[in-house]
Amino acid sequence: MKKPKISSATISQIAILITAAVLMLLISGIQQNYARKQIRNNLERNAEMELIIKSIDVKHSLEDVTLALRNRSWEFEQFLPYPDSLFDVTRRIVEENPNFAGCCIAMIPNYYPEKGRLFEPYTLRRGEVIETFQLASEEEHDYSKNPNFILAAENDTSFWSEPYQDEDDLNVRLITYTFPIYDVYGDMVAVVGIDLNTEWIGKLLNSRHMFPSSYNLLLSGEGRLIYSPMDEIRHKDVNQVMGLINDSTAKHTVSASGRVTIFSFIDWEDRAKGSVYYQTPNSIRPWSIAVINYDDEVFAPLIKMQWRNLLLTLAALLILAFIIQRSVRSLSKLQQANLEREHIESELNIARNIQMSMLPMTETATLRDDCNIAGLLEPAKMVGGDLYSYLIRDEKLFFCIGDVSGKGVPAALVMAVANAQFRSISAHETNPARIMQALNEIGCQRNEQNMFITFIIGVLDLPTGRLRYCNAGHEKPFVIGKEAKLLPAKPHLPLGVMDDMIYTAQETVLQPGESLFLYTDGLTEAKSESHELFGIKRIEKGLQDCIRNESVAPEKLIHTMTNRVNGFVDGAEQSDDLTMLAIQYTPQEKPLVFRESLTLKNKVSEISKLNAFVQSATTTLNMEKGLANRIKLAVEEAATNVINYAYPNGIEGNIEITIEADESRIRFILTDSGAEFDPTGVSKADTTLSINERPIGGLGVFLVRNLMDSINYERIKGKNILRMEKRYVGQIVKT
Amino acid sequence: MNTNITEKDGKYIVSLEGELDTAHALEVEQAMQPLHELSGKDITIDCTKLDYIASSGLRILLGLLKSAKANGNKVVLSNLNDEIKEVFKMTGFIDLFEIK
Repeated sequence: MKKPKISSATISQIAILITAAVLMLLISGIQQNYARKQIRNNLERNAEMELIIKSIDVKHSLEDVTLALRNRSWEFEQFLPYPDSLFDVTRRIVEENPNFAGCCIAMIPNYYPEKGRLFEPYTLRRGEVIETFQLASEEEHDYSKNPNFILAAENDTSFWSEPYQDEDDLNVRLITYTFPIYDVYGDMVAVVGIDLNTEWIGKLLNSRHMFPSSYNLLLSGEGRLIYSPMDEIRHKDVNQVMGLINDSTAKHTVSASGRVTIFSFIDWEDRAKGSVYYQTPNSIRPWSIAVINYDDEVFAPLIKMQWRNLLLTLAALLILAFIIQRSVRSLSKLQQANLEREHIESELNIARNIQMSMLPMTETATLRDDCNIAGLLEPAKMVGGDLYSYLIRDEKLFFCIGDVSGKGVPAALVMAVANAQFRSISAHETNPARIMQALNEIGCQRNEQNMFITFIIGVLDLPTGRLRYCNAGHEKPFVIGKEAKLLPAKPHLPLGVMDDMIYTAQETVLQPGESLFLYTDGLTEAKSESHELFGIKRIEKGLQDCIRNESVAPEKLIHTMTNRVNGFVDGAEQSDDLTMLAIQYTPQEKPLVFRESLTLKNKVSEISKLNAFVQSATTTLNMEKGLANRIKLAVEEAATNVINYAYPNGIEGNIEITIEADESRIRFILTDSGAEFDPTGVSKADTTLSINERPIGGLGVFLVRNLMDSINYERIKGKNILRMEKRYVGQIVKT
Repeated sequence: MNTNITEKDGKYIVSLEGELDTAHALEVEQAMQPLHELSGKDITIDCTKLDYIASSGLRILLGLLKSAKANGNKVVLSNLNDEIKEVFKMTGFIDLFEIK
């Protein structure tokens, strides 16, 4: 099993997520902690407030009781003389105060002699029933021995008793308010006791709470529960809380007066964590009041918030993960796109270099002294659809300029093909119309893209200055002599439009020093910022200025024109490829040191005469023997070709041989009136074939080409003219 | 231009003398014609006195070589001067013939 690979990008993504998650949780934890403290502080304050308010409520309620009784003190006085009416007094008190469970008037012993020692009218509420009777009896209820009675009677004071359980109903807890009453002489005559059902205070205390499960407790000075909490909270272990409060109170005793004491606890009954706030406020001293809150309710909003925070954190993490994922993906996409673009750009750069390398080297032209060439190609994009090309073969300069429809890579490809074909066809064809024809036929084949090329081909015969050219829909070149004139070039259809198009050549003769200036529509249609076209007039003007300044050398023509068009365009974007080609014809006339002619018949036997003629010339020129032999062989081969093939069998014809020599070059000019035959167009013999493959013959032209420095053929006025040249080192032997 | 054919040690020896140009090619070709018909013997062409050769001369030698090869015989060229050797090199003939 291969382990699935986890990329480093994925690892860093996960690391970012984990960090973000930890940070978020940390922040949320700190917040929670702070919030918890805040809540607790608030709760403390609220609990304190609640305890104060409730203790005041309790105090007021108890005061209501004492007030109610005090208001009745006149009644006690009024009815004192009538012992039996005291029963009604107690009954009225109970009847009027629903919270009173009972009321007794315990007379001091022997107050009413007729009633015996003890007399205690008593009214008791048993649910809905109110009973009134004499409670005291010597045997069962001797109130004179009751501590409360004794306390009230002896101390002449009123007080609240400790809570106690009702004898009739164990669920009812009672407290008794005891106070003395006096006769008109101010002597204490009885002690009145009011039994209060603590449920009433309990209800009062627990009428409202901060939290649903919270409850209040009221404790007596001895730490006993004055009332039972309400039903709904009864399941809480009240006894536990009380025990805890009592423990705590024992420690803090009275000194904690007014201060809220707080402690936490865990409820034994339902394991809930809670906190107790209690105090012994002055208003109800010695009683204490407490409120118990449970944490789950206190912190419920916080817990709710915690959950919400957790969900939000998760959501945020998910969003973060998504964003990271997306941005990583788009980043990698961007990187990919960048890589691709760089790749394409580098390929385009290579393509541009290849295209530029297809342009002929200017050095080839500068090696010669009879022509001078300069070219410029500036593609609008990385690669362009313009081309110019030239080559020199057999003393002829083949040149072309063209503009492929469209721009960019497709145009560049067509241009490259056209360039290659131009060069390969020019290797064996000297007629520009035939070159054009061949290019057109190839161009029309498989031209699904309907691309076409405007093209001019020129063939300049360097020995004579004879220029033949053929135009396929291209801008007419300028001839620059005494002035700049458009070359009258018949515009045929561009290449690649019609495969059966017939192209014809035109011709002119360039005078020594004259130049040709060729260009593409990138020059004429160069746009200024105001969308004006450079136009043919500006070209003409530029060329005229060059003539006036006597700077018609090709480099200068192109330099001038480039400057002018750049100035004209002035920063506007180049919209089309810009191409220029300038050619100057500069033949060097050197004085001849030798010139002789010989005319031969078209017979093989005449070769001996020829060889003798050549030999005498080379001897005269004092040529080295090996070179003389090579020259003799070349001339013989050339002449043999003419003798054998120029004229039909049996037809007599002449061959004229002229030998010219200047101080460094010897030239042979063979002229015949036979059938047109261009030996320079004969393909090179294959010297690597085996005996059986080797044809007998076909070596003549090959030898001429190899033995001479240059050969040149022209058909002029029905005559074949073949020139052969060889550089030599020699000296005329003066006789 | 002289062409002498002799037989020695079971070989034909052809001595070429002078300039084998186009004008003399026919004459030499005719002189060598018998060698095309004879078989069973190798041919040595002695070029000691051959000053010059044109492509028509090369053609004659190639024709002779083809015949000899067909009969299973060799054609050896001997004593070529530098200029003629140059022509043989130039034309690739130097690879076809055995040169001594």
